[in-house]
Amino acid sequence: MDEVGKKKSRFGRYLLWFILICVAVIQIFPLIWLVNFSIASSNEMFTSGLLIIPKKIQLGNYYKAFVDGHFLLYLKNSALINGFAVILVLIISIMAAFACRKMFWKLSGFVKIVLLLGMMIPIHATLLPNYKIYHVIGLTDTIWALLIPYVAFSLPQGLFLMSGFIESIPVELEEAAVMDGCGIYRIVFRIITPMLKPSIATVAIMTFLNNWNEFMMASTYLSTPKWKTLPFSILEFTGQYSSNYAVQFAVMALTAAPAVIVYVLLNKHITKGVALGAVKG
Amino acid sequence: MKKRVLTILMAITLVISLLAGCSDKSAKTDNATKENNKAEATKGPTQSPNSSSDKITLKLFSNLPDRKNGQGLIEQMIIDEYTNKNPNVTIEVEALDEEAYKTKFRAYAMNGMPDVVSIWGQPSFLDEVLEAGVLAELKESDYANYGFVSGSLEGFKKDGKLYGLPRNTDVMAFYYNEKIFNDNGWKVPNTFEEFLDLAKQIKDAGMIPVAMDGGDGWPMAIYLTDLLVRINGNCSELISKGIRSGDFSDPVFKEAAELLRKSAEVGMFQTGYDSQDYGTAMNLFTNGQSAMFYMGSWEASMALNKDISEDVRSNVRVFTMPALANGKGKQTDIAAWNGGGYAVSANSEVKDEAIKFLNFMYQQDKLSKYGWENGVGMSAQDQSAYMTGNETILQKQFTDIVKNATSVSGTPFNDCGTSAFKTAIESEIQSLSNGTKSVDEFYKALGEACK
Repeated sequence: MDEVGKKKSRFGRYLLWFILICVAVIQIFPLIWLVNFSIASSNEMFTSGLLIIPKKIQLGNYYKAFVDGHFLLYLKNSALINGFAVILVLIISIMAAFACRKMFWKLSGFVKIVLLLGMMIPIHATLLPNYKIYHVIGLTDTIWALLIPYVAFSLPQGLFLMSGFIESIPVELEEAAVMDGCGIYRIVFRIITPMLKPSIATVAIMTFLNNWNEFMMASTYLSTPKWKTLPFSILEFTGQYSSNYAVQFAVMALTAAPAVIVYVLLNKHITKGVALGAVKG
Repeated sequence: MKKRVLTILMAITLVISLLAGCSDKSAKTDNATKENNKAEATKGPTQSPNSSSDKITLKLFSNLPDRKNGQGLIEQMIIDEYTNKNPNVTIEVEALDEEAYKTKFRAYAMNGMPDVVSIWGQPSFLDEVLEAGVLAELKESDYANYGFVSGSLEGFKKDGKLYGLPRNTDVMAFYYNEKIFNDNGWKVPNTFEEFLDLAKQIKDAGMIPVAMDGGDGWPMAIYLTDLLVRINGNCSELISKGIRSGDFSDPVFKEAAELLRKSAEVGMFQTGYDSQDYGTAMNLFTNGQSAMFYMGSWEASMALNKDISEDVRSNVRVFTMPALANGKGKQTDIAAWNGGGYAVSANSEVKDEAIKFLNFMYQQDKLSKYGWENGVGMSAQDQSAYMTGNETILQKQFTDIVKNATSVSGTPFNDCGTSAFKTAIESEIQSLSNGTKSVDEFYKALGEACK
């Protein structure tokens, strides 16, 4: 009896492993494909096979991506803008979630709903009006032109996750903190924030990934290379009619790398964050 | 108490962020003016204070993001040459690809265009732009000696006034691989009926007859234009009448649409042509998987492209749409037009310099010559002076096609109407060709888009 049970569980584990490996391969394949195509030449791309075995490994694609694609400048801009956006979204969403969920004031529910309404607004509907406003107050072509909409559009989602999570923190903790003489900011940043780690990771990763690849707003609000972000790098290899696909693949591989790294670093927390936030919200 | 603290904090953050934005900008402009002043101060006595020594920044908004190849390279070469000759002028280029370009163009049209912009001399684009009044009028008499091919300026005019200059002459044609044709004993067809037969033969031999960029819509719309011309001779009147009234009941339209469907039915295009894009179609041809490729003259640079295998590259030839046995049009009535070009913004603060730069670009030894030498296609100007005899066979063939043309179609069908019409035809034409929509349904949809 025992033997059979063991066998069964071993078989079950093999099956589990098999399925997990299949899922992993399917998930990782696009990345492999991306890297594979980025070392081939443009003309090898339209073969019928799934992957290409390049005649010659074209590392020149990466060189071109770096030099002609202004990769480093755009990477710096992207990192800076996304970094600021993530930090701002985190600070504001923690403060707003705390204010709306844990503090008692007349309009707390209403304010939360207004902030969450932001989720309903399609980004592209705001494109031209925003451009007009930025133009009038002279913000086009500055870092603010991207930072403001990036923060604004990521905030509702961040607030939603944060407030679900913050609810689950026992009020006794705050009471104890108040007894020990904490002020309100100390409660938020010294007591509450450390306990929000999973949802901070979730919000950070979502904000980062959403904005990392954003192009429509960037192309409309920016005109000089000063603050252009990574997606512009791909554009440098777009011809009038046909494009240099191989180098574009190299740029995409380079662009994807930081996002993958951020995901790997934070992914431990993300499932926890989403699940907890969802149940308690 | 809590509330007040929060309010004050929020107010402070707001003010700080606003101030940061402003101060940043004002500091920059301060610096800029300082530098300008410094530059002028140092120049001061040595140079006479004429206007040409002032620092001028021209903003160029271009639809050519790739600055190292093709047309974009030519544009950049001319810009570099101009700034070398006029050290007081800096030219800032902003380049986006077509869709992003048009979106941003709209944003710019609301307040303040860059000084020099890329435009398309076609009603679907230009009508709205001219209505908004954002382009400066050019003096047509200035360009009498620039060698523009006759009729090429027409698309850039409104009410007899000129607003832009054309960059290219584009001819639509079938590229074919001569070696594959010879190896299989296939011949360049003389009539459209022969052409359909040939397509069947090629398909039976296991090859793709024509690689078609059907996903984009416009190549097939031009194919339709080509057929209209074969059936009826010159069609520009017919088309503009149809678009004005939204009524495409003329039998010529119907016949052309049926011929397009028939082409698809006999298997002329690759499987999945109706969703595949430009690059895919072109690579079918350059990899030798298809025998022909329907595309514009700008791809004549294939013959010089080192990325394409020698075997294909040196064997590319071209022919225009064959005539119909009972049609009014001949094979020499070509589908050709002058599409893209440049214009100057009406509200530019440095309009004179912008026009000066525009004229510099269009000096015959600039856009025309460089374009010709780099094989990026034919310009809208007379290029005969730059024929060296070393042109590729493709280039010569195209020159001959244009030289021997008995008539020119002008703006293709899809670009003759409003932008709504363009969208309609380019998204419906796939359904027409693959049979999911009938000919009548197709023209009904077009008619509705005209209203």
